Amino acid sequence: MRLSFFEPRTMARLGYALLRRFLRRLASSLAPWATARQAEERLRVEIEGHLALQTAENIRSGLAPTEARRQAALKFGGLEPIKEMYRDQRGLPQLESLIQDTRHALRRLRMAPVFTIAIVVTLALGIGATTSIFTLVHAVLLKSLPVVNPAELYRLGKKSHCCYFNGFNQKDEWSIVSYDLYKYLRDNTEGFAELAAFQDSTPILGVRRSGRSDAAQSYPGEFVSGNYFKMFGVGAYKGRMLTPGDDQSNASPVAVMTYRLWQERYGSDPSVIGAIFNLDDKPFTIVGIAPPGFFGDSLRNPAPDFFLPLNTEPYVDVEADLNLPFQHWLELIGRIQPGANPQALEAEMRVNLKQWLLAHWNEMSANDRARFPEQTLYLSPGGAGITTMRELYQRWLQILMIASGLVLLVVCANIANLMMIRGLERRRQTSLSVALGARVTRVVRGNLIESILLSLLGGAAGLAVAFAATGLILKLAFPSLSGHAGVSISASPSMPVLLFAFIASLLTGVAFGVVPAWMAARVDPIEALRGASRSTARAGSLPRKMLVVLQAALSLVLLSASGLLTAALQRIEDQDFGFELDRRLVANINPRLAGYRTDQLHLLYRRIRETIASIPGVSSVGLGLYAPPGGGWASGVWVDGHPAPGPRDDNFSSWNRVTAGYFEVVATPTLRGRGISEQDTAGSRSVAVVNEAFARKFFGSEDPIGKHFGPIPRLSSYFEIVGVVSDARYFTSGLDQPTGPMYFTPEAQADYTRSAGALFLHDIVIAGGPGASVSAASVLQAMASVDPNLPVISIRTLRQQVAGQFTQPRLIARLTSFFGILSLLLASIGLYGVTAYNAGCRTGEIGVRMALGADRGDVIWLVLRGALIQILWAMLIGLPLSFASARFLGSQLYGMNPYNPSVVFAAVLALGASVFIASLVPAFRSSLTSPLDALRTE
Amino acid sequence: MKEIDVRQGTLALMVLKTLDVLGPLHGYGIARRIEQISEDLLAVNQGTLYPVLLKLEQEGSLASEWGVSENNRRARFYRLTRAGRKQLDAEAQSWQQTAEIIARFFAIKAQDLK
Repeated sequence: MRLSFFEPRTMARLGYALLRRFLRRLASSLAPWATARQAEERLRVEIEGHLALQTAENIRSGLAPTEARRQAALKFGGLEPIKEMYRDQRGLPQLESLIQDTRHALRRLRMAPVFTIAIVVTLALGIGATTSIFTLVHAVLLKSLPVVNPAELYRLGKKSHCCYFNGFNQKDEWSIVSYDLYKYLRDNTEGFAELAAFQDSTPILGVRRSGRSDAAQSYPGEFVSGNYFKMFGVGAYKGRMLTPGDDQSNASPVAVMTYRLWQERYGSDPSVIGAIFNLDDKPFTIVGIAPPGFFGDSLRNPAPDFFLPLNTEPYVDVEADLNLPFQHWLELIGRIQPGANPQALEAEMRVNLKQWLLAHWNEMSANDRARFPEQTLYLSPGGAGITTMRELYQRWLQILMIASGLVLLVVCANIANLMMIRGLERRRQTSLSVALGARVTRVVRGNLIESILLSLLGGAAGLAVAFAATGLILKLAFPSLSGHAGVSISASPSMPVLLFAFIASLLTGVAFGVVPAWMAARVDPIEALRGASRSTARAGSLPRKMLVVLQAALSLVLLSASGLLTAALQRIEDQDFGFELDRRLVANINPRLAGYRTDQLHLLYRRIRETIASIPGVSSVGLGLYAPPGGGWASGVWVDGHPAPGPRDDNFSSWNRVTAGYFEVVATPTLRGRGISEQDTAGSRSVAVVNEAFARKFFGSEDPIGKHFGPIPRLSSYFEIVGVVSDARYFTSGLDQPTGPMYFTPEAQADYTRSAGALFLHDIVIAGGPGASVSAASVLQAMASVDPNLPVISIRTLRQQVAGQFTQPRLIARLTSFFGILSLLLASIGLYGVTAYNAGCRTGEIGVRMALGADRGDVIWLVLRGALIQILWAMLIGLPLSFASARFLGSQLYGMNPYNPSVVFAAVLALGASVFIASLVPAFRSSLTSPLDALRTE
Repeated sequence: MKEIDVRQGTLALMVLKTLDVLGPLHGYGIARRIEQISEDLLAVNQGTLYPVLLKLEQEGSLASEWGVSENNRRARFYRLTRAGRKQLDAEAQSWQQTAEIIARFFAIKAQDLK
């Protein structure tokens, strides 16, 4: 007997039985769910049958048929609770009823298309705005470089100090180094696995594939150390990346191309790898393509398209910085050894810096030596690369983030209001369900599911809005020349952005679904069924009013902020720049790209001026190292006869080199003496024309005409001042400060005391005669006749050039205005909704009042009064908030008074007018109700 | 005597016993039988029987199939399965024991404990 238990057949039978039992269990627990409808039907038939039998029994015992049926039903008990219990028992009840509720909610939403669309569109705008701004915030402020393990990267410097420094002292911290110092730090600092150096700026290279006859095109490039790619852990997409072997003075010149350029310009042609490209007319072999998405060491516009070894810099550039120990132009990023302590590393590098400085003690100026003790450096996390853009836009992005967050709040308030009104309108239905035995939790859950569904729909739509908006913002904020890489920010939402939108929409849904759901469930069935529209006191109207007040107050804040930003921008754009904006064209050229030597330049400029001057309609033409507004050159000034400035004295001035007649072309008035003229030649004495700020700064009340100064201490009588011109704004930084000192020297007098780069003038300014219009095409044609190989990089009017300097502030002012108007619109809709709903509830009351002799004016006032009180509250709350936000904006207003009364007044007026109109409409409508109809509605 | 509430477990036991004694039966039949036996002392809505029947069926103690009732309507007939019979025996036994223990407690008078 015992043995047979272990017999295989018994075992098999046992196993089979167990399996069958398990399957039956499984089937019986799943089947009811899978066939929910069948189960409902079964219960219905059973109940039906039960009641029929009981009724028959009751009739037999002598009851009348109707009474018999009633008694049977009474005995059976409430149908709904039993069905509910039955369903609970049926298995997976939570999930099933969830699906049921979801389907029910979807059905309800389909039945109210206007409500659904209104909510989805509102949410899409709110979440779209917030998400697109967050995409920017994420890309600029939060994201790391697309490289291996960015947390291990450290960079030199706390802040970015673009782009060149000269000498042996740097203010505050050493953030830019020379090649010599880089090598010293690299070889003497042990904590780095790899320390790479790269150029801080991206020079534009003239690029032409060798053997092709087409004109050179300009693309930005960057000089990087041989271990640059190894340090980032970035491998080649095709071919190979640069190696330390490529970065030797005797190595054959090679370069790496970005994936973007390879794909867009060369159609992913595999023969590019190994091909010879002429970069600034110097042959380079392209050894590889960088992987897609890699944009170098920093987020910037334009991003480099070529990476060249540092040691090819002297090969490309006539006046190379590479071998000058005092010329600092390189940024450093290093990957630390696993487990290395960055603080110890920083200390080590500080010592190394001092050692290096001491080794160059003989080359140091007295000034450098005096400042030696305070020279120091800092390391900071480098996972995001060089964060110039972060420093530049942080404040703006914060402002936008706050503004879009406020819009989202307004949107949420609007949605809560709509939901509450919907909840109230559904009150009877809710009460009926509760009276029929629906459980309160189920009712609340139904409402909650509805609002979550809505918010997810809105979130999805918001993502679409965000994608489109981010693309647009990027295009407007960072305009790039055609063919160039724009700033490397993708408009498509990344994982954190998706998560952000999802959480934002879900929070909106849950937070603003809970209150209406709770209010709906609080309903006393009897009260609701009796019809509560008779009362004048409306339960739950306080939260709705508060929401409207909040909306209006926030819109006031946004409106006044956008007003301030717009007014400040207007003020700065309308200021007197010190030169003429109208009828002026600026053409940008780079003679270096066409391979001009410095001794050919004077003739080239003469030919350009003569050719362009002969275009009909051109009244005058001049060239400058840079035309306003643009980047510039600056250096120290030593005045003849004045004591030499101390190590801490500021003797800086910007300078420019211009052709004869330049001041007449840009229409900067000459105040004293003369401007630069044809009489200033290579053979005549070296002269300079200074601006008022220069005269004030270096000569005070003295007359500067005839005085001498120079760019270095031993040449303090190099220039003789022959004229003073009025101040003109060449720089768009520091707009809230007065124009800085500047001097101009003649193009004809080649000034070899400084970098040869200053000999290449970049901007041609063309003045049209009054009433004449000079087309860009005619200028291009003229330039082609001068030299077809000299490309014109861009040609714009001076007004466009100036406007281009304010692209980002303008975009931010416009975005904030858009947010302000959007929230004003939403607030008006919100107030309209609340006022209309309240007026609707009071139809009966209004009817009674009118029947008792109130006229239309009284009725309008009755309805309007409530709305006006809300507006007043909104202003009471909104005004202090506006002033607080103005304080926050203070630094972005270019020195405008942040408490500008006219801006605040305009915002108050805009808010007041639109919400007044929004509440006037329902007030007017309810004044049209006839008392008879009103009383009959009950 | 007051009507008493009935716990679900007790109701389930009554159902099992009813089917054990009377064989396959529809819901109404079970309800009537329970009423008769308890002589209307149970305050239970007849409807609450159906979730209990479903539960027992899911546990495998009952099986059910469609049949025709006395008044020629479609009705679901429940019968005891083998597992149900086992469960009934076990529950009856434990009920018996509980009842005996409780009865003993009530039978004991103070003087008996000396």
